[in-house]
Amino acid sequence: MSKIFPKAANALPLQIVIFLFILGGVTTAGITYYATPAYLRVGYQPVQPVPFDHSLHAGQLGLDCRYCHAGVEKSGTSSVPAAQTCMNCHSIIKPTSPLLEIVRQSYATGEPVPWVKIHQTPDYVYFNHSVHVNRGVSCVECHGKVNEMSVVYHDQPHSMSWCLDCHRNPASRLRNPEDVFNLNSSTLAAQGKLTDAEKFVHDWKVKPPQSCSGCHR
Amino acid sequence: MKRKFDHPATSPRELSGPKYWRSLDELADTPGFREHLAREFPEGASSMDGVDRRQFMKLMAASFAFGGLGLAGCRRPEAHILPYGKSVEYTVPGLPLYFATAMPQRKSAIPLIAETHQGRPTKLEGNPSYLPHGGASSLLAQASVLDLYDPERATAHTKGGTTLTNAQVNDILAGITKAYGGNGAGLAFLADESASPTRARLVAKLKQKFPRAIWAEYEPVQDEPPVAAAQASFGKNVKPVYRFAKARRIVSLDADFFHAEAGALYYARDFAKGRRVTKTTDEMNRLYVAESGFSLTGSMADHRLRLASSHMLGLAAALANEVLGTKVFAARASGLDLNSKWIEECAKDLLAHSGASLVVAGAHLPVAVHVLANAINARLGNLGSTVDFVEIEPSLASGILSLATAIKAGSVKTLLVLGGNPAYNAPAELDFARLLGSVPEVIRFGYYVDETSAQAGTHIGATHYLESWGDARTVDGTIVPVQPMILPLFNGLSEVELLARVAGEENPDAYAQVFTTIGRLTSGDSKKAFEKFLHDGLLAGSAYKAVPVAFDPQRSGSAFAQSPAFAALSKDNLEVRFVTDHKMDDGRFANNGWLQECPDPMTKISWDNAILVSPRLAKELGVVPGGSMLQVARKEEAEFSQGKENAFVFEVTLNGRTVRGPVHIQPGLSNYTIVLPLGYGRTKSGHIGTGAGFSAYAVRSTDALGFATGAKLAKTTERLKLANTQEHWSMEGRDIVREANFDGEEGYLKNPDFVNGIGMESHTPAVLGADKDKSPAFIATTTPRGNSLYESPNLDGPHQWGMSIDLNTCIGCNACIIACQAENNIPIVGKEQVMRGREMQWIRLDRYYSDGHADVQAFGAEGNKALPGDSDDPTVSPQVSMQPMTCQHCELAPCETVCPVNATVHDDEGVNVMAYNRCIGTRYCANNCPYKVRRFNFFDFNKRSLDALYMGPLGHQDEVPELVKMVKNPDVTVRMRGVMEKCTYCVQRVQQAKIAQKRKAGATGNVEIPDGTIKTACEQVCPVEAIIFGNILDEHSAVSTAKRQDRDYAVLGYLNVRPRTTYLGKLRNPNPAMPDYGALPLSRVEYNQKNGHSAHGAAPGHAAKPAAEPAKHEGQG
Repeated sequence: MSKIFPKAANALPLQIVIFLFILGGVTTAGITYYATPAYLRVGYQPVQPVPFDHSLHAGQLGLDCRYCHAGVEKSGTSSVPAAQTCMNCHSIIKPTSPLLEIVRQSYATGEPVPWVKIHQTPDYVYFNHSVHVNRGVSCVECHGKVNEMSVVYHDQPHSMSWCLDCHRNPASRLRNPEDVFNLNSSTLAAQGKLTDAEKFVHDWKVKPPQSCSGCHR
Repeated sequence: MKRKFDHPATSPRELSGPKYWRSLDELADTPGFREHLAREFPEGASSMDGVDRRQFMKLMAASFAFGGLGLAGCRRPEAHILPYGKSVEYTVPGLPLYFATAMPQRKSAIPLIAETHQGRPTKLEGNPSYLPHGGASSLLAQASVLDLYDPERATAHTKGGTTLTNAQVNDILAGITKAYGGNGAGLAFLADESASPTRARLVAKLKQKFPRAIWAEYEPVQDEPPVAAAQASFGKNVKPVYRFAKARRIVSLDADFFHAEAGALYYARDFAKGRRVTKTTDEMNRLYVAESGFSLTGSMADHRLRLASSHMLGLAAALANEVLGTKVFAARASGLDLNSKWIEECAKDLLAHSGASLVVAGAHLPVAVHVLANAINARLGNLGSTVDFVEIEPSLASGILSLATAIKAGSVKTLLVLGGNPAYNAPAELDFARLLGSVPEVIRFGYYVDETSAQAGTHIGATHYLESWGDARTVDGTIVPVQPMILPLFNGLSEVELLARVAGEENPDAYAQVFTTIGRLTSGDSKKAFEKFLHDGLLAGSAYKAVPVAFDPQRSGSAFAQSPAFAALSKDNLEVRFVTDHKMDDGRFANNGWLQECPDPMTKISWDNAILVSPRLAKELGVVPGGSMLQVARKEEAEFSQGKENAFVFEVTLNGRTVRGPVHIQPGLSNYTIVLPLGYGRTKSGHIGTGAGFSAYAVRSTDALGFATGAKLAKTTERLKLANTQEHWSMEGRDIVREANFDGEEGYLKNPDFVNGIGMESHTPAVLGADKDKSPAFIATTTPRGNSLYESPNLDGPHQWGMSIDLNTCIGCNACIIACQAENNIPIVGKEQVMRGREMQWIRLDRYYSDGHADVQAFGAEGNKALPGDSDDPTVSPQVSMQPMTCQHCELAPCETVCPVNATVHDDEGVNVMAYNRCIGTRYCANNCPYKVRRFNFFDFNKRSLDALYMGPLGHQDEVPELVKMVKNPDVTVRMRGVMEKCTYCVQRVQQAKIAQKRKAGATGNVEIPDGTIKTACEQVCPVEAIIFGNILDEHSAVSTAKRQDRDYAVLGYLNVRPRTTYLGKLRNPNPAMPDYGALPLSRVEYNQKNGHSAHGAAPGHAAKPAAEPAKHEGQG
């Protein structure tokens, strides 16, 4: 009677164990690297229905962020402007540009311009813009240097641990309040004024929530 | 790490003895009940119906397979941001807007502030500018926003099955104007009552234009005292407005002024002002209630008389004799079977408080009772002091009876039915549905396609009040605007516009009509005045004017002519009392899921009504075989095992008409009165309202709209399961509600800290050791929280949230339950699920009965011999204690230590929070919660329809309509299947207030929220201001002040879980001279009996039962 298993099969259990270890390691490493917002989201740069150029408007022309994102100091959302806001200028500047056809249509009919959402917080996260920009956190911290992007992309991971990095150490990200909307400014810490930032944290009683209830309701 | 509680072992006496009982089964301590309360959720809550395991596995396997297929196309879905084309005035996306409006009621209205999110009203609050309500609102007002988004409302105008456009409807209305121009003969209107000045103006116009047309108004229930009574008493067209805050002694003759009477919100609030006690120098009002049913008003009574409604005239006459010192009314009172000392002492007490007392008679009572009440109030000098009479316009409308006569005579050719639902709720003898059929043309204007619409050729869809312009007057006459929050969702027409069109107004637009009305009432720039009116939400100074009145004994004689002498009642001559249901009202809210699922405050039955009978009557009817009287409604254990009330169906016969319904035994009823709640048994409503309960209108006739005698009950062979929540979430009768009398040897005045003498804490070393008398702020931040292995965060936030609930003013109105439901996106689950104990409301209102009379020895043997409310003596009545119960936010929360995934944890401000995304649904937390306040989403209740289970991705994919989603609060997560949820202290409101404060602070350190900025939804709605929420770190905050009171106690405080919600003990204020006086509240008598404290429970009267020996318990198994 011939043997069912050849001799080489004696090493099989060990091989299987080693294989499983490697497989487990690769899977873990893969998920840790790939299945995170830092990999999946950063760099997301969808094509927008209107090729709005932030580097032109906010960069070269120097429009303040708040001209269009008017709700940012008051509301939870920064609010994407109504077509009416675009038409304030574009009824005079390039009034016939074919690229702006959708905007003109929207202004005329009320049909919204379907901007593609880049930074999407899940429904169970209640992020509030106003409380950040009023307390020394600049747009740049989360959105990157939008004034240099001709097509906006996802700059930061926006994962929960990324949020908590700052909430646990706010001093490192604070700016002078007047610099919040100046996208070319840098944080107090980067200017070597970390003690100033720490003084702000103390004087303004900056205590970013680290409990669940801060963002999840 | 799981912390195990050392509940002190229950002694045999405790197990068997009487205690606070919430149901007769609990009192009887049936085996079914004992098993029931040992479970974390009621039995059956965790099992599934309809799908067997095999089928379930098949379905799930299939969905996993498809899930695999789906993964291949796994890309991040593209989402869009859709901004406005043109910016909208005032609107900032993400911020709500608030507008003043009002909810019209019969002859009154509730002024409201509507919260809108991008044009979508989601939540209503009382308008704080209207001082009599002070920002409070009612159960019905809270739930009314759900009706706006009811997918089953009338969504189109129809004629004979074809849809009409708005232009066609306008043509029809113009056609009426044209056809009946001239005298209007043959045209008739049937409308419900309204307090709208604009409608009154338009009706006057109609009468001018069509002098021979009939304008009839019909409401199935009266909620204001009849004007005829005022005519007979004072000779004037006046109505009373009560000032309960000034009244020290109040007598209610079958008047449920907390719920059924017009102005209930104002009255409840004013009553609480006289009831509230914060220190021993405060005064407390005293409430005498005589009633046939058991209402919320009765549950607050210090002395309660169980008296048939038909005998109220006798009581009023006897009381009038005593107060007026005459014998004039002796004949009226003869035959009243009642301890005369009760009346004498009550009258003495009233006389001792002349000018500060008040006698109120129920609106349904005969004119003679009201005349007597007026006479008593006049004699006591209450007119102008505790009751103002205000001048009102006499109604020019005819009744439904004269309309019916005209229809029978064939003189009505076209009938417009505006609102109401006469085919369902008109008096039974009219057979109104058939009458409608005999009218050549019936045009129905209504919000729902209902029983009446079925009889009409044309149906015109009405707008919700949140979609239409209008106006109304509150109970004191203040004119308030009804502003639309949203364009009509289904092109509905408003009543004002419809009437304006029929009246042939030049500009029938509702806005223009209201503008005209208000313009005539204001001076100066009418546009400015109107804007101010809309902004304030009321027209200042427009309240009815109080007029001086004098009682005229000569006139009043006629009122007694038609009042019949009353007969003794018995099992074969029962009295039937028709009451508006607490939630359905007269049936108009039948398709409102929030209200259907809200348990009745007394019976705790949801999704149904029942024939309420007294325990005495149940016994005499022989419902109960053998000796086990207490299990009348649910004899067999097996039927009790799932917490369902398996009620016997009985047939009520009254004047030859019959109706069938389940019988529920309600302690505290007058012995031979049966109570039939109206508003159920709708045959044509949505799928929520249709088929729930039975319609008591079927036996109600014109001559007996409030009550009738001569009824009989007959048993049928049927049974019906009721979704009764009264035993769900029971807390094993520990010393949960603590109460004392206001005065007396053991009363509050002599022992202000009586709460500390009750309960386990009074027998054990203080749980907080030396810190027990420290302030909550000190305890929260400084006193160590034990050395558990479980690490909870430091409570070092700038605020520490806490709540105080005053049991002394809580009237148990259930408004907090619905306010919470509206604010926190709490789903409804349906009758079937409620029967399994899966109701989701975060607040439950515990209703405890006590009668101090239970026969301890009878327990465990053949049953309780002395049945509560079984007495011949109508002055013997069980007492009721109400307690709102929700998450207590324990500082040492037992739920947190058992959560395997840290889904429920503390935040640094002392709130026990739920991270829904972490929750994996083990339900350990609910198991370990001593208060049983956690709720589990057994299904995707937000996605499934009521009559179906959610079967996973392969189940029916038809999600709920978009319309239903519109009512959701965007600031609160909509929870999914498989997660636990519970009260969050309205964390969204807290966070928003903190964000607003930080925004304001900017580059300063001013981040502390001022006291009173945050109101939780339950606090905001509470008409009696029983709930106070705030920062306990602030020594001067309202909540800290409340918690410093002597009456402050923690429920189950001995567990040392350190709840942040604490309660203020309840007080009762009985009169020592009364025959039914007890030196202790009955719950205390029972408590003392149970714990062998009978020495200091030596109360006279029925309360003075010596504590009996512990009953044998082995027999029960």
